[in-house]
Amino acid sequence: MPTLTIDNLSVTIPDGSTIFEAAAQLGIVVPHFCYHHALGAVGACRMCAVTVVEGKMPGLKMSCMTPAEEGMVVETDTAQAMEFREHVGEWLMTNHPHDCPVCDEGGECQLQEMTISSGHGVRNYRGNKRTYQNQDLGPFIAQEMNRCIQCYRCARTYQDYCGGRDFGPMGSRQRVFFGRFTDGMLESDFSGNIVDVCPTGVLTDKTFRFKTRLWDLQQAPSICPHCSLGCATVPGGRYREIQRVVSGVNVQTNGHFICDRGRFGSSYVNHPKRPRQARVDGTNVPVAQALNRLRDKIAGVIAEHGPGAVAFVGSGRASLEANWLLKQWARSLKCPAPVFELHPRRGRAIRQAVGPLSSHLASLRQVRKSDLVLVIGADPLNEAPMLALALRQAVREGGRIVVLDPRPVDLPCVFEHHPLTQEQILCLLAGRCETGLLNNLLSELMTARRPVLVGGSDLLGGVGLQLLGHLTESCDNDDRYCLIHPLLPRVNSFGGGLLEDAPQEDLLERLENGRIKALVCLESDPGSEHPEAGRMQLALSRLDYLAVFDCLPTHATRRADLLLPTATTVEGDGVYINNEGRMQAFSAALQPGIPIAAVTAGQHPPREFMPETPGSQPQPAWQMLQDLLGERHSVTALRRAMEQSEPRLEGMSRLQPGDEGIKVAPQDPEPVEESTVEIWSQDGDLRLLPVQSCYGSEVASSLSQTVTPRLVTPRLMVHPQEAQQRHLQEGEDVTLKTAHGLFRLRLFCDERMATRRAIVPCLPGTPLEIFVPGGLSLPCDIEGGAS
Amino acid sequence: MMELLTAEQLDKFTVQVAGLEHPRELIIDLLRSVQDNHGWVPDEGVALVAKILGLTPLEVEEVATFYDKIFRQPVGRYPIHICDSICCWSRGGDALATHLREHLGIDFGETTADGLFTLLPSCCLGACGRAPAIMVGQNTYGPLTTDDADRIVDALRQEAQG
Amino acid sequence: MKQTEQLLFKNRRPGETAFLKEYEGSGGYLGLKKAVREMTPKEVCELVKASGLRGRGGAGFPTGVKWSFFPAENPGPKYLVCNCDEMEPGTYKDGELLKADPHQLVEGMIIAAYAMQIDTGYIFIRYAYKEQFAYLERAIVEATEAGYLGKDILGSGFGFELHVHGSAGRYILGEETALLNGLEGKRPNPRSKPPFPAVRGLFGRPTTVNNVETLANIQHIVNGGAVWFKDLALTVEGAGTKLYGLSGHLEQTACFELPVGISLRELIDDYGGGVWQGRAFKSCLPGGASTPFLTADNLDVALDYQTLEAVGSRFGTAGVTVFDDRTCMVAVTLNLIRFFARESCGWCTPCRDGLPLVVWLLEKIERGQGTDDDLQMLKAQHRNICGNSFCALAEGAMGPVDGLLSNFEQEVVDHIQKGRCPFTA
Ligand SMILES: Cc1cc2nc3c(=O)[nH]c(=O)nc-3n(C[C@H](O)[C@H](O)[C@H](O)COP(=O)(O)O)c2cc1C
Ligand code: SF4
Ligand code: SF4
Ligand code: FES
Ligand code: FES
Repeated sequence: MPTLTIDNLSVTIPDGSTIFEAAAQLGIVVPHFCYHHALGAVGACRMCAVTVVEGKMPGLKMSCMTPAEEGMVVETDTAQAMEFREHVGEWLMTNHPHDCPVCDEGGECQLQEMTISSGHGVRNYRGNKRTYQNQDLGPFIAQEMNRCIQCYRCARTYQDYCGGRDFGPMGSRQRVFFGRFTDGMLESDFSGNIVDVCPTGVLTDKTFRFKTRLWDLQQAPSICPHCSLGCATVPGGRYREIQRVVSGVNVQTNGHFICDRGRFGSSYVNHPKRPRQARVDGTNVPVAQALNRLRDKIAGVIAEHGPGAVAFVGSGRASLEANWLLKQWARSLKCPAPVFELHPRRGRAIRQAVGPLSSHLASLRQVRKSDLVLVIGADPLNEAPMLALALRQAVREGGRIVVLDPRPVDLPCVFEHHPLTQEQILCLLAGRCETGLLNNLLSELMTARRPVLVGGSDLLGGVGLQLLGHLTESCDNDDRYCLIHPLLPRVNSFGGGLLEDAPQEDLLERLENGRIKALVCLESDPGSEHPEAGRMQLALSRLDYLAVFDCLPTHATRRADLLLPTATTVEGDGVYINNEGRMQAFSAALQPGIPIAAVTAGQHPPREFMPETPGSQPQPAWQMLQDLLGERHSVTALRRAMEQSEPRLEGMSRLQPGDEGIKVAPQDPEPVEESTVEIWSQDGDLRLLPVQSCYGSEVASSLSQTVTPRLVTPRLMVHPQEAQQRHLQEGEDVTLKTAHGLFRLRLFCDERMATRRAIVPCLPGTPLEIFVPGGLSLPCDIEGGAS
Repeated sequence: MMELLTAEQLDKFTVQVAGLEHPRELIIDLLRSVQDNHGWVPDEGVALVAKILGLTPLEVEEVATFYDKIFRQPVGRYPIHICDSICCWSRGGDALATHLREHLGIDFGETTADGLFTLLPSCCLGACGRAPAIMVGQNTYGPLTTDDADRIVDALRQEAQG
Repeated sequence: MKQTEQLLFKNRRPGETAFLKEYEGSGGYLGLKKAVREMTPKEVCELVKASGLRGRGGAGFPTGVKWSFFPAENPGPKYLVCNCDEMEPGTYKDGELLKADPHQLVEGMIIAAYAMQIDTGYIFIRYAYKEQFAYLERAIVEATEAGYLGKDILGSGFGFELHVHGSAGRYILGEETALLNGLEGKRPNPRSKPPFPAVRGLFGRPTTVNNVETLANIQHIVNGGAVWFKDLALTVEGAGTKLYGLSGHLEQTACFELPVGISLRELIDDYGGGVWQGRAFKSCLPGGASTPFLTADNLDVALDYQTLEAVGSRFGTAGVTVFDDRTCMVAVTLNLIRFFARESCGWCTPCRDGLPLVVWLLEKIERGQGTDDDLQMLKAQHRNICGNSFCALAEGAMGPVDGLLSNFEQEVVDHIQKGRCPFTA
């Protein structure tokens, strides 16, 4: 821990730190370009020069490359350092175009800030400027190479950090070009990060182009709603539309980066079919009226049929506050407690994570630091993309990744893949079949210093996660836990699970046996989330009354007798709990409203003035639920009340949007016994596994027009051996026969996947929406040609 | 001339790659072989090299575009590199370059209409004791008078015809 | 003019190349035999250290000292890399040496590898040296057949294999860490030091990089001893002979093996045949394009590392480029800076963007459009680029600017005042 002096201030920093980091700790920001917290120092830009007055090697030094030493005396503002930095500014600006007025970086241009802080102001160079021809990098990213200052950040982000292999530096001398071999869409699922790291306007968000200046942008720290990892984001919008999302910084979760689904998948907020109006029996009404009506209606049903006739459904999409208030409401009416996960098998998995596993949960940061990660039944790029990036960082630090999964798993790093089927994995974990592989892995886990097990809840279910839990415990030792990182279905699945007091009977059965007359759905859609989607839809049609709170257009919102439009994540405040039990707060960047562009058909300003903002009815669900309960607490007061009623939420009222979040207290070790035993014999030649796909399965992002270019089309995937046996060709249209019906699909082959398995992506809004991820594999067959 | 790699070369490199811990070290050998066969390295050449080495075309392009003597654009059958560094410059390199440009009727970076010659400025050829020097393909000539240069060009023209 | 003992050019005949027979006939591979049979690796290192041999690639780092940092005991692969990129204008000695006598390098590398217990060697050779590439390949085959290369060299149990790698043209590849990236098939930007190649070099393994001439001297040191080698030089601090490549405005521009410490005057008059066309000496680059200019005042300086540093220049590669009295030093500097700007790898700002700015300034001054402000700007560029780039390329590029400003500033002022280059009619 050397202590040194910088600009007459004393600072003590960890061994191995640089002068730059020591200065940063003192709050002195040395101008810099190539240094980036997540990428480290490479010494290319030379902007960070400072003078080492006393030290082993005195003189002008690059602060990002120079180790801080005990007793060193450093000055950042010597004449020598200031003159040099001014020259770096001059050199970098010789070729920079003066197109700042039309540059999208305006307002957040590090080049402007650093040039000014370097002291360079007048360009003496009068020669020609170097120019480039730009490339088309696809729908997400715009390129304007003339602005490039060759800091190499983009290449280091894209290649080194994210593992992309189709974008990088070409050429040399004053003509280095950052791009692709040929024009075309960037292939990495993390491509958008190059926008965040580029200090100037070379790489900008194409979907945000020419829309808003930063100072006009409404932004707030938020949480990405698209998977259970809960990455930090900063959405921004204007004119009542969401316009972009950039990565937030949370060193415990995503670090500095996010995936492209998180970045480009938010325009569902602007979706024209989004519920915007409270509606009762087909008539638009004010929210207050709908709430009164709902209160009366539920009271009526209870009066007539008893409290057991009303069922409540919360969800992993809704905020912790809304779910909790729903629970309070049900309790106040003496109705059965809400169900928070409609898919019973998924529900059991969530309960495992929230309960028995909760003492062993690993953050993404711990995954990044792990020396051995066993990924079991998970496909990170499709289920939780930033996990894939965390795995890559583990590998970069010398860690090893082993994947057991039937899918043709892809990762942006080196890993070992065993394409076992779901049953094989479960058998293996239960110790019921060939265990050579498991024994080898177990002995590795025992000796690993920071082992982590990743378990996909969709493939493993509650039983699988429970077995995984036993495994981690058996690999614990005195120095460390063997940690577990479970992937859960949704952003707040953990929160829902935590609010659940006891497992509920399957809603479908309760509906089918006619006991339930009225159903209240909070940001959930039984018809697409329950594994028996067809039966569920039928059952719903027998209800007397369906009330739905939602921000997305779903089956449920369409058939609802009473609809309450809720605010999206970016329009309200709330808390989500991610898959490692981390509570994180988000806050509203925008007020709900129909985008001005949609109201005025592109005309601006709007010609017609109205007393009320069009489409501004949606409110955070927890506000409406408070109204129902006749309460009007501030969000902090509400959170305090929640802490009181749920001790595991201790700390919730202290959460600040944008902070690291607080982990919920682990549950007392009281084993949750699973009743359903899933291990079964592998019957049938071919079984179907419906799975999540990164683009298309998750509802909100699939409704985002911006990700359309990446949406997966309905398809069927098998091992080439299966195709051969059935005399089928890759690329031909085949018929998939299942208990849910026949489907005509394009056939894809991948030899990395398990044999005797067929895989389809679950895609809402397509014929494949009948398949819901999270279940056991289903019997199926394939035939060539049309059905 | 048009083949990227001969069957023998392909076999040789494939065997070599299989035996190497870091196949990437062959990247320049491969690019140079493609260029020797084809005169320059077209996009397909980059793609082929990438395939042999298990790289992406971009990864090969990053390296190919760094080096001066890998041509990613068509050049004439005889690329003429005229040294413009200090020793050749001090002994008439400029005049020699001007002469060749006039004699061939092309500027730097251009190729004669018959596809035979491309003129390229080059840094020191390691023939500083024989200045002014030029390199045609990989053969270095110097010291050269303008007449010497004409003779070299004429001889190459003859070679091309014969 | 005294006949110097020829070590490196012993077998040099015009238009001919010595291969194994001739090389062995002249005492070749005796050094290797002596080293592996009679000396421990450590003794070889010590001997080289004692000989005072300094790296001939330009930087002049004491070779024995460099070798003594090498972790010879480390298990696993280790590499010896010979740097034959030789692309600095005015430098062509390594090419001459390899044209004459390629086995010298092969033998030197085997002994060096033995001294550092290295199992694999690479000779990195520039694109233009097509003949030398072929000669080296032949020499390696011959040496392997003769048992000098292979798994068990001369029954010593020591094994070494050697490969030749042809480059594709860029000066930066001569910088040793860029060279290592180049050998690995990556973009040849330099790497940051530390870690030094001896710790993490080729493919992340301990590596030593040495120049051709440095390595070719090793067997002579083994044969003749440290004291003999040191005494070959004419200066007290110096050691050995040096290959001097003459170029520029001399009657005779060729490469000679002469003692370290010979005077510039003797070199020019006796070996270069004097300045051409009966003109007067004005200036020279004493050791390649990156070394600051000398003037007529320096004609009696001894050509060695310390002595040249004392007069504000460097020994560099001993490629001496002479300029007569009709030469415009602004134009010379401009030519040199254009070279460096064009050869920048594009990694760091002072070099990538600073050198083109210097080119622009010099062009303006040379055209006669320069102003006093431009001269001040030139000085500021020089002051700020020096010592602040990522690798030594931009540093080297400032050598000529340094020479121009310290020795020929008046000439720059003349350009500005006259509004034209005083050397054009
Ligand atoms: C831009 C640049 C070019 C260089 N070119 C060469 C070269 O062509 N040959 C060489 O031996 N050393 C060259 N060097 C020096 C090498 O980096 C390294 O110091 C040398 O190869 C070490 O060998 P030595 O100690 O035997 O001289 C160059 C250095 C720089 C910075
Ligand atoms: S494109 Fe942006 S991030 Fe990439 S090198 Fe240029 S300025 Fe840096
Ligand atoms: S000084 Fe900088 S840009 Fe120039 S060659 Fe070295 S690293 Fe590359
Ligand atoms: S920030 Fe230190 S060199 Fe770029
Ligand atoms: S300067 Fe022309 S060959 Fe060296």
